Amino acid sequence: MNGFPRIEPLGDSALLLILGEGTNPALAARTAGLAAHLRAAALSGVSDIVPAYGSLAVFFDRVTAEPERLTERLAQTAEAFEAQGPPLAHDRPIHVIPVRYDGPDLAEVAERTGLAPLDVVRRHTEPVYDVHFLGFVPGFAYLGPVDRALVLPRRPTPRRRVPAGSVAIAGAQTGVYPLETPGGWHLIGHTDVVLFDPERNPPNLLSAGDRVRFSPTDG
Amino acid sequence: MITVLRAPPFATVQDLGRSGHLHAAVPRAGALDPFALALANILVGNGPNSAAVEWGLTGGEVRFEQDATIAISGARARATLGGRPVPHCEAARAAAGEVLAIERIEAGAWVYLAVAGGINVPEVLGSRSTYLPARFGGMEGRLLRAGDHLPIGRPSTAALPGEPPTSIPSRREATAELADPRPADPIAVLPGPDLGLLLSAAWRWLVETEFRVSRAVSRMGYRLEAPSPAFPLPGDLPSAPACVGTIQLPPGGEPIVLMPDGPTVGGYPRIAVVASPDIGRLAQRSPGEVVRFQEIGLREARAGLQRRWNLLERVAESA
Repeated sequence: MNGFPRIEPLGDSALLLILGEGTNPALAARTAGLAAHLRAAALSGVSDIVPAYGSLAVFFDRVTAEPERLTERLAQTAEAFEAQGPPLAHDRPIHVIPVRYDGPDLAEVAERTGLAPLDVVRRHTEPVYDVHFLGFVPGFAYLGPVDRALVLPRRPTPRRRVPAGSVAIAGAQTGVYPLETPGGWHLIGHTDVVLFDPERNPPNLLSAGDRVRFSPTDG
Repeated sequence: MITVLRAPPFATVQDLGRSGHLHAAVPRAGALDPFALALANILVGNGPNSAAVEWGLTGGEVRFEQDATIAISGARARATLGGRPVPHCEAARAAAGEVLAIERIEAGAWVYLAVAGGINVPEVLGSRSTYLPARFGGMEGRLLRAGDHLPIGRPSTAALPGEPPTSIPSRREATAELADPRPADPIAVLPGPDLGLLLSAAWRWLVETEFRVSRAVSRMGYRLEAPSPAFPLPGDLPSAPACVGTIQLPPGGEPIVLMPDGPTVGGYPRIAVVASPDIGRLAQRSPGEVVRFQEIGLREARAGLQRRWNLLERVAESA
């Protein structure tokens, strides 16, 4: 019952495939890899595959898919994926996102972390981040892990409006707001890169399992 | 073309929503009451997924600039077309220049206005549904307002696939069954994936409590008011997938039922999931109205869904 992976229903129109618990980046990478693998397998009757940290949801067409058969196929595909191991990092696309580090919270982040603002920038631009999954609003990618020295809880009171393109950190995560939305993360910079465009196919720039590096610009 | 003369505070263009982009955090969007939208469409000879107007809160007026076959479904509204009363869930013919006046909504929350040919706004990501938070789909990604011109598509004889089984009643009975939101009946729910993290008292609380729809209702979610649960609630969990109908239990103890514009992943415990055929019934309840939940099995929920589609096929047969 508590073994992984396990498959259980999410309502009457989706199944959950659960690989593990917690938020560790290796687990998220396995989940993203399995989601890509399942997508490539193009199981009949499946309309979407939605990964999060340690689980993914498989949505099926309203009445066409037979959940019992789909459960079997999912179990087999997950087993084959686990046997084959996660995709190698260098096989996954890397996006370089230019960032102007002039966010309204940069000074406060520097103060609270005891770092110089330039050090905050250096520590934010050094790692190559994994896209764990997308959520919150269209095109918003949860990236991580951030440098330990930059880990701060989210702001106690979220801002009502965070401008599109804001580059932000919270906890062990970083991300870019694709649209103007409310938000509680610390805004350290801004990018002109369009993360989400509904007229584009696919509309999202980043997908679960991709890699991202931020590069500082003056412009 | 349809001209909006007087818009209610909350009206959007919706179809049955978009699929295939949930992984990019693009919600399904689409009608809050999908079967009401599908029924209105079928009554005017459209396929179930044509775009229609989802109309909420108060009355308003639109003018048809061309002859059109129309139907209204969903919430019960007092409506007239060129001064003649418009029956609920029946096709009616509008002559060019005639005004449809929805005077007020009498029972339920969302009225669907379908027109033969559908509302012909451009498709965005495979759907004509408005998704307000990201401002795309429907009419320029926004609420309808006075002065809007809604293009009408070319009427076709789109049919639903398949013949309904003979166990399905007559067209009139099928329409009546689809049109009845059974406002006093409980909403069917399936146990949610995080139920195991809660004490066993949690499920009893969910199915025995009389909830009320709060004022915090939107196309993203409906918050329900309830006496505080007498069992401990976990804090935030690692983000996990959610679907339309997911009932989240945040630390405050007031459940939130996710609706079609709701998030694709969430960090609150998912105590239950509303059975698909009942999402529209819940969406039709207004702030202050009572909601009770009743457990249903997966097989039963899927049979209920199948029955709804079969009923629509019966109505389509002779449309």
